[in-house]
Amino acid sequence: LAILKEISAVASIKMPIGENWTVSRCRYASEDGAEKRVCLATGIHGDERMGQLVVYDVARRIKNAPEHLHGVVDIYPMLNAIGLDIGERMVPSATKLDMNRAFPGNPDGTALESICHAVMQDMKGADLVLDIHTSSQITSELYGVRLHEQDADAMIPAAGALCPQSIWVLPDRAPYNATLTGALTVEGTHAMVLMVDERRLRSQMVVDEVVDGIFCKLSEMGMWTGETKDAPAAHSIPCMWDATDVCRVTCTRPGMYVPREVIGNVVKEGDVLGTIFDALDGEAVETVVAPESGLVFTQRRYSGVYPGTLIARICRKERT
Amino acid sequence: MKKDIIFTVPSYFRDDMNIMGYRFGKGEKSCVVLGALRGDEVQQLYVCARLVAFLREVERDDGIMPGKSVMVVPTAIGLSMNAGNRLWAPENTDINRCFPGDSEGSTTEQIAAALFDRLKAYKYGVQLTSFYQPGSFIPHVRMMETGRQNPELGCEFGLPYVYVRAPRVSDQTTLNYCWQLSGTQAYSLYAGKTQEIDEAAADQTLRAIIRFLNGRGIIRSEQTPGQKSAVIADADIDTVSSKSAGLLRRVKHAGAHVRRGEQLAFIINPLDGSVKEVLKAPVTGMLFFIQDGPFITEHSPVFQVLAT
Repeated sequence: LAILKEISAVASIKMPIGENWTVSRCRYASEDGAEKRVCLATGIHGDERMGQLVVYDVARRIKNAPEHLHGVVDIYPMLNAIGLDIGERMVPSATKLDMNRAFPGNPDGTALESICHAVMQDMKGADLVLDIHTSSQITSELYGVRLHEQDADAMIPAAGALCPQSIWVLPDRAPYNATLTGALTVEGTHAMVLMVDERRLRSQMVVDEVVDGIFCKLSEMGMWTGETKDAPAAHSIPCMWDATDVCRVTCTRPGMYVPREVIGNVVKEGDVLGTIFDALDGEAVETVVAPESGLVFTQRRYSGVYPGTLIARICRKERT
Repeated sequence: MKKDIIFTVPSYFRDDMNIMGYRFGKGEKSCVVLGALRGDEVQQLYVCARLVAFLREVERDDGIMPGKSVMVVPTAIGLSMNAGNRLWAPENTDINRCFPGDSEGSTTEQIAAALFDRLKAYKYGVQLTSFYQPGSFIPHVRMMETGRQNPELGCEFGLPYVYVRAPRVSDQTTLNYCWQLSGTQAYSLYAGKTQEIDEAAADQTLRAIIRFLNGRGIIRSEQTPGQKSAVIADADIDTVSSKSAGLLRRVKHAGAHVRRGEQLAFIINPLDGSVKEVLKAPVTGMLFFIQDGPFITEHSPVFQVLAT
């Protein structure tokens, strides 16, 4: 058995000077007629580039052992292609709009809305859509799955096979309903966000973890017969069902923040997470501590902060 | 006039940012007017600044009605205005997509929460806002269809049009939407341009606010008569979108009356000057919106025509 590989344009918009904004898709389809379809999307935010390496590795593994694929894997690596090129999170334009707040789109709307609509139409009906995001330049994230409240009962058990280190249920309301995952869920297609760490020093290790999870999921769905790692039981993965399960740690003073490395650690109440200093005054102005015990799944890196800046997210309890 | 600090964002590298409210009169929180929520909303800031100057004179002449009060918030994003950013620069976020906010959330959410906490106490709310595309509108009053909108009251601004628009999913975190749901009669005023001062449109917008404040019995001042407003909806608007991309050369401007088939703009090949597309009016009517950037991408709404 071999696979069919097909690259096509899902949507394309002409730019003013000799260029198109094209959303391309690479389809890997087994020749056995298996119909299950998984979509892997990434690059919706132009400052998140780790997804490029994730989908590249997925494609490489498929091509290295095509006989193990049974079904269709559609890869959309560059949703916000121009933003990715210049490292701009938003869609570059005069008004800088967030592509992940423009779904489900509108075929008769703006260029952005029509692209979003076309992407939705292409993905709708898939058995699963995984929208791969990465932590921003100034945060670290544990590899996690985020899914929509409307789909939580069905998808929390299903998310376990992706081998994440945490699962977080996002509420059924704006602005989440205007995200790709939210809009697909509302329209009846199972979708999840994969949050991948952008820390580049360990990039291959981080990517391997996510790609292993994706193949584990494909295996569970009967789409991959190659070797995969053992998926943990869903109930063993820390799961946050709502805001009450997440402790948001913020700072109260402006300054420069220097973190301690606590991502992935279970901290105790009172443990130091980092320090804020004032270089002009030569003083430390705030020591940020964990207000509660739990697993640190988001951590801010060395950066300037304002009062209210997110320093860390702690999973309060391991409710499953 | 009393100056309130509604919220302070302390900064490490720069001066603290204070969001200022200018209050006139005492008693019922009757009306609040909000200017810039984005760093490029210069026209909105300008109209508010002139409104503050006007209300200062009205108050001096005892023109604020007993038991009524007005507040004007010229900008909630001075830090980004100084730095030339449209969005809330430290977090690259749009404050007008963060309502009703979260007092324990991110800095942007805290700004939205602090603003909303003060603004929702007012009976009438007026937001001077900009569109999510660059362009110019005929000055008009706009509100979202939430089931709580009151377009008849919007006619008291005396602008030619009151536009009731069906909200998109992404609109549910805007100030106008959340304001209406919390019980304030909320109106968005589109005041011509955004990134530069348009004196004529600013005058028209200022007169509309003054007319509304007089009409609602909040102030007593000289005013100019307004126009009879027409309430319009999405179905009354025809959009002319581009099928090609390039340089946009407009031959008609916002407010122009056009006949069906009349030429509105040319899309020019930016390298060889050839005409790639001629945009024409799909119906006879008035140009309600025009996109005013020099470049145009394919599939962009360039004109909105209000059919007559």
